[in-house]
Amino acid sequence: MEEYQRHSDEVGFNAEEAHNIVKECVDGVLGGEDYNQNNINQWTASIVEQCLAHLVKLGKAYKYIVTCAVVQKSAYGFHTASSCFWDTTSDGTCTVRWENRTMNCIVNVFAIAI
Amino acid sequence: MMSDFAKDGVFHALKKMGDVTPPSHEFPRGGAHWRTKDSVSTVSHVDAPSQQDQVSRLTAQMENTYQLGPTKHFPVVTVNSILKDVLTNYLQEEEYSPELCRQMTKTISEVIKAQVKELMIPRYKLVVTVHIGQCDGQSILIGSRCLWNPKSDTVSSYVFRNSSLFALANVYAIYFE
Repeated sequence: MEEYQRHSDEVGFNAEEAHNIVKECVDGVLGGEDYNQNNINQWTASIVEQCLAHLVKLGKAYKYIVTCAVVQKSAYGFHTASSCFWDTTSDGTCTVRWENRTMNCIVNVFAIAI
Repeated sequence: MMSDFAKDGVFHALKKMGDVTPPSHEFPRGGAHWRTKDSVSTVSHVDAPSQQDQVSRLTAQMENTYQLGPTKHFPVVTVNSILKDVLTNYLQEEEYSPELCRQMTKTISEVIKAQVKELMIPRYKLVVTVHIGQCDGQSILIGSRCLWNPKSDTVSSYVFRNSSLFALANVYAIYFE
């Protein structure tokens, strides 16, 4: 009787790949749009859901947390920070900053190995 | 239950690299004119694993625990009150200023992580995020979605507001199977 061996993540989280995926999603949803109070809810929801869907298609054994903040461009400041307690060999994170004429968008992806 | 070799491997990795903190973001604002072409954000604080660890990046092989779920679930209510206390204590009397808030986001996220770790919930990984912004009529929407096992994983969140700033803190707790 063989004991089940968990497949080890030998390369850890691929941040490059995630970066590209997220950038494409944001470009697709927000590219060419101006800040609009009515649509903003829908936009954040679709950015996050599309990112998750693409990440899942990679087929890796990870749990994902995707956060998205969209701020109207104005004279006001905004700061964000995060702190993580996990296994640094297998888990990782990726952040994408995107902007256009009327708004800024920050998307964070955290991937945690199962 | 972990074999001795595995335990050494994981703890060695954790001790050496510490925690990975993604860069904090800042969008500086000048008076009359500000750049629209390139991103003007700066990376001010990054703790990254050193390159030499690429060679030994094998995740530890662990023995089967035969455990189907967490023995002790994550106490969301306790963590909510931790978030409330920390944010109120640090930000109650503060006015928004770029320097202060840049430092504050990093400090607060570290403090929250330390306090939640003290609860000693076994087998849970933590992700703490903090957003601080100036509060004066502009619009902002922050959203998040997670792909996880809802029976064992959870999130805890708190928003603090005063006259000049707002702060949002989230703690995501992921069960390590």
